[in-house]
Amino acid sequence: MLIPHSENDAAYVIRTAAANKKALILCGGQTRSPDVDPLADIEVVSSRGLSGIVTYDPAEMVMTARAGTPVAEIEATLAENRQMMAFEPMDHRGILKTSGEPTIGGVFAANISGPRRFVAGAARDSLLGIRFINGKGETVRAGGRVMKNVTGLDLVKLLAGSQGTLGFLTEVTFRVLPVPQTVETIVISGLNNDAATNAMAAAMAMPVEVSGAAHLPQTVRSKFIDGKLPEGEATVLRLEGLEASVGVRADKLEAVMQAFGPVTRLGMDDSLTLWRQIRDIHPYADGTEKPLWRVSVAPSAGHQLVAALRLEAGIDAFYDWQGGLVWMRMEADPEAELIRRYIRALGGGHATLVRASELVRQQTPAFEPLPEAVAALSARVKEKLDPWGIFAPGKMGF
Amino acid sequence: MQTSFTAEQLADPHVAESEKILRRCVHCGFCTATCPTYVTLGNELDSPRGRIYLIKDMLENGRPADEEVVTHIDRCLSCLSCVTTCPSGVDYMHLVDHARVHIEKTYTRPPVDRLIRSTLAAVLPYPRRFRAALLLAKLGRPLAPLFKRVPALRPLGAMLDLAPTSRLGKADTSARALPPVDVPKRGRVAILAGCAQSVLDAGINEAAIRLLTRLGVEVVTPAGEGCCGALVHHMGREEQALDFARRNIDVWCREMEKDGGLDAIIITASGCGTTIKDYGHMLRLDSAYAAKADKVSSLAKDVTEYLATLDLPKLEPRAETVAYHSACSMQHGQKITLQPKALLRAAGFAVRDPAEGHLCCGSAGTYNILQPEISAQLKARKVKNIEATKANIISTGNIGCMTQIASGTAVPIVHTVELLDWAYGGPRPAKLG
Amino acid sequence: MNQIAFLPAREDVLSRRKIIIADLAELLPAECLVHEARELVPFETDAFISYRRVPLAVALPKTTAQVAAVMKYCHRYKIPVVPRGAGTSLSGGAIPQEDAVVLCLSKMSRILELDYPNRTAMVQAGVTNLSISETVGADGFFYAPDPSSQLACTIGGNIGMNSGGAHCLKYGVTTNNLLGVKMVLVDGTIIELGGKHLDAAGYDLLGLVCGSEGQLGIVTEATVRLIAKPEGARPVLFGFPSSEAAGACVADIIGSGIIPVAIEFMDKPAIEICEAFAKAGYPLDVEALLIVEVEGSDAEMDAMLKSIVEIAGRHSVQTVRECQSATEAALIWKGRKSAFGATGRIADYICMDGTVPLSKLSYVLNKTSEITDRFGLRVANVFHAGDGNMHPLILFNANDPEDAAKAEAAGNEILKLCVDAGGCLTGEHGVGIEKRDLMRHQYNDVDLNQQMAVRSAFDDGWILNPSKVFPLEGRPEGRQDA
Repeated sequence: MLIPHSENDAAYVIRTAAANKKALILCGGQTRSPDVDPLADIEVVSSRGLSGIVTYDPAEMVMTARAGTPVAEIEATLAENRQMMAFEPMDHRGILKTSGEPTIGGVFAANISGPRRFVAGAARDSLLGIRFINGKGETVRAGGRVMKNVTGLDLVKLLAGSQGTLGFLTEVTFRVLPVPQTVETIVISGLNNDAATNAMAAAMAMPVEVSGAAHLPQTVRSKFIDGKLPEGEATVLRLEGLEASVGVRADKLEAVMQAFGPVTRLGMDDSLTLWRQIRDIHPYADGTEKPLWRVSVAPSAGHQLVAALRLEAGIDAFYDWQGGLVWMRMEADPEAELIRRYIRALGGGHATLVRASELVRQQTPAFEPLPEAVAALSARVKEKLDPWGIFAPGKMGF
Repeated sequence: MQTSFTAEQLADPHVAESEKILRRCVHCGFCTATCPTYVTLGNELDSPRGRIYLIKDMLENGRPADEEVVTHIDRCLSCLSCVTTCPSGVDYMHLVDHARVHIEKTYTRPPVDRLIRSTLAAVLPYPRRFRAALLLAKLGRPLAPLFKRVPALRPLGAMLDLAPTSRLGKADTSARALPPVDVPKRGRVAILAGCAQSVLDAGINEAAIRLLTRLGVEVVTPAGEGCCGALVHHMGREEQALDFARRNIDVWCREMEKDGGLDAIIITASGCGTTIKDYGHMLRLDSAYAAKADKVSSLAKDVTEYLATLDLPKLEPRAETVAYHSACSMQHGQKITLQPKALLRAAGFAVRDPAEGHLCCGSAGTYNILQPEISAQLKARKVKNIEATKANIISTGNIGCMTQIASGTAVPIVHTVELLDWAYGGPRPAKLG
Repeated sequence: MNQIAFLPAREDVLSRRKIIIADLAELLPAECLVHEARELVPFETDAFISYRRVPLAVALPKTTAQVAAVMKYCHRYKIPVVPRGAGTSLSGGAIPQEDAVVLCLSKMSRILELDYPNRTAMVQAGVTNLSISETVGADGFFYAPDPSSQLACTIGGNIGMNSGGAHCLKYGVTTNNLLGVKMVLVDGTIIELGGKHLDAAGYDLLGLVCGSEGQLGIVTEATVRLIAKPEGARPVLFGFPSSEAAGACVADIIGSGIIPVAIEFMDKPAIEICEAFAKAGYPLDVEALLIVEVEGSDAEMDAMLKSIVEIAGRHSVQTVRECQSATEAALIWKGRKSAFGATGRIADYICMDGTVPLSKLSYVLNKTSEITDRFGLRVANVFHAGDGNMHPLILFNANDPEDAAKAEAAGNEILKLCVDAGGCLTGEHGVGIEKRDLMRHQYNDVDLNQQMAVRSAFDDGWILNPSKVFPLEGRPEGRQDA
């Protein structure tokens, strides 16, 4: 593994590889790609040598950090100033049994977002500016450090979530937000998936600013906060903000949600734990290699997808993002084609194979295959950033 | 916005005025959004901003009007929604007036179009001719579908469609009387009898006179007045329009000199109100009339505008819900938006505002005759919005809108003053059945 | 004012004008094609009226298929295409060129689907921004990005420019509220990106298209996110004795961890202009005004306002006026949102759009007055202070060429100042033609070359809006002449 310690070194490494048309795997702390494909002749380049917060002005709510800076360091620094990354990046170590340190570059390169994503935006929405090395070994700067910026093409969005196939991030500038004063969770018990979807949609239509909406069926409910959630399925709704208002909003929400089922409430400590466990897919941090899918569909389609699949495969699932993010653990076969066919039938979305055994991963495209015209366009875009195709060839399908 | 006129061009006071208006436009495009023809047709050329540009180009180059420019100016309803919207204060009304005069002077319309326009100009402003024409129209109604098949004759079809099927009225001005002795006298006003309204719906002025009289206002109907000139003014027939204006000004000025003078000139059709309030501007270059015209304009009041100054008592709530349709000439032309609704509410009616209230119903003077397709689309949109309020009465302040909307819905439509007259002791309007 | 060059019109296109129009007439219904010389003139510019070019023809398609047919044709014959929504661009994004077909989506103005359980609206690109919120308002929802021209501007245009607005401080700009598009690529291929789900598969092409100023394709339909309307919202007016005090107060409010929905700034000239139009009751005896809007329940608004009033007190606030009714709130926003147009009452203007870090607000405001003073020009400042997005309006006389040239020069200095202060050339209006030649002040060659290369991946022949965004010098080989 190559670990450059400066942007210049990184550029040199990539220029050299480009000159030799040698493929490279780009990574941060390797917590999301457990074992790099052991194909011979592929060098791994990690950003972990590019570490450290460059600038942070809490009054501006903007931080610039080198790509290899550990997420833990960033979160600690932000916490000292009662600030946070609003998109709640998840930690994959539990479900993937990986070790190492998640890096901020990795978070943005994979566009990792947690439960608040459906109201506060994804990692890409917080990312204001980047520096990266393209496939020619050139250092490119895109975006900036101000919130509103439409100067030129938004390469920042393009690089976010490109999984290290378009460029090697060396520095990221992102927006942060104040930590809410308090958090409370409304729990509605005993709803089936269908009713839970309706309840969550009703909650999201209310002016109470729900910042988390998840449904935890019976099979996973007891895995959260040491089994403290009441008996039966748990539909959980998070409220955050000023103390003066969270209580009032919780009362309003509870009054409406009682029509769906019995309501209980969780205080701040339990809420923090619960939502961190939802973020990190705690129930499926089960030490297995059972195929785990991350499916993004329209909120009303999530439970329909699962219901349809259940007739043909053994699966366990729970729902975040008002039902639109489905975490599905397959009992045996990954059923990639089946899942993707149903997603298309239900109005579209995408499924990513987050975990599977080595063998299954070799046989299954992890990322959603794209329609022909979009795939062709994406390939052309990749060629403009990585003309010799040295960055993780084939990883996203091109 | 940048303009390029020569000093010679600017010597013409009309061009000079238009230049000043154009300079204010910053081309922001806000006006497009509230323009009925733009939202219907989706073409910049049929938006205020597009027309301003067409007019600018025509005037700057000192060109006669041509078919393209005329097409798009003709499609303008003169609803003045754009004037309400414009943040820069562009006086579109006087710009398009100027353009229409320019068109009338420099452009020769196709023969059928010319015929229709001259007929309208020769009939509508004259109640006796109009009444006769409507009787003929009743006979001609079966021909309407036939006319509609020939594009050039569509206006004739539209005209026949609009002719009322019910009885034609003749104003019963015997209602005019001195106020009852037990009511303190509150003023003396003239009411405009006007032209088309007196034929189509005489009940409106009767109601206004009854109500005002009951409230202690002496209402006079001086002989000799007639059409305010709006109908021909919007066709660009400026001289004819100014003649109408001068005649009315003469009549009212005589009335002002009589005992008690005039506190106001009451108008019950907001389309006429907009024009009479503009007499001062229209005759600004006529040294003999400019001052008198100004005086008349300042006395001109919509009937609701005047009633709002009389502090009518608040009545108990009633069962009827009223959808209030604000005529364009009322809300955009005269900027009267609150008084009619406040009066209706005080009289006990529940008042509802239809969505897209800023959009024209498509009546717009002779527009429903000259541009039947666009007019029909606007009517349908207006009726849909009104019916969505689920109100059981529609109220408005302009005869044109009343005729237009009535031809598209079963919900009865009456003049605001008829409802007020009813609530304050007058008879129930016959149109409510 | 004519310092910025357009690409020279291509003779081979101009000479085939008649044929091209005849061919387009085959592809479009008669009412969807404008080609008479006089009728083309009103399309020669947008809301950046300093520059004007009469186009070759204007297509007003009604369907995605018609858009695709026009694109396929223009691509085949290498005819430049300039997309247009409502023509409200303040950077000249929709200004045509003599050899271009304007593709104007104003006839595609239908809302196709409202899906409340999934909180999405699917609309045609020609739908106006405000009409979405107006349509869903009665059901308790709204569409968040609210550019000041929201009454007239279209969603397609908003996507092209990644438009912002006053309330973006809390809700984000267009890119943060856009879930999917249907678009026509340069060769006429129709693709869909995203949908009702979050985070489209593959590369974030949706993020790339948003703000691409019509150079990557023609968006014909969009799926946008709806948000539940807050329980209440209250704009509060804070009057200050100086712009510096107001600017410092903004930085302090944000720094204290309070994020209102909007913080808008107006200096004295701007206050006077807006008050004259809207009669909103803005205080006329102060040098600078902040409109701070908070929302939520009464309890929440009270708590936030208490803290904000306290902070304002530390910056010698002169007047604090809480809005008492919905009508009053509407007037306050009407005045603010009409600010640019209302400026037309007193002078012609060009509007800058640089964004700066909050800590530099006061500095940049001061320098801006220095610059305009030096040029002998007047300036009115009205902008989104909460996110540092400044809009100095430079006032001038468009009928005086010298004055116009001065205004343009002053504007360039102000934008460079914003970049040098750590900000950017444009926060929400886009580069367009206006800021194209300043791009090298913000980006170096490598940065710009990378952007241009990606643009070429979508439009290798550079026929889409070709005079815009990227300086004419230094374009990829063979793309200088479109």
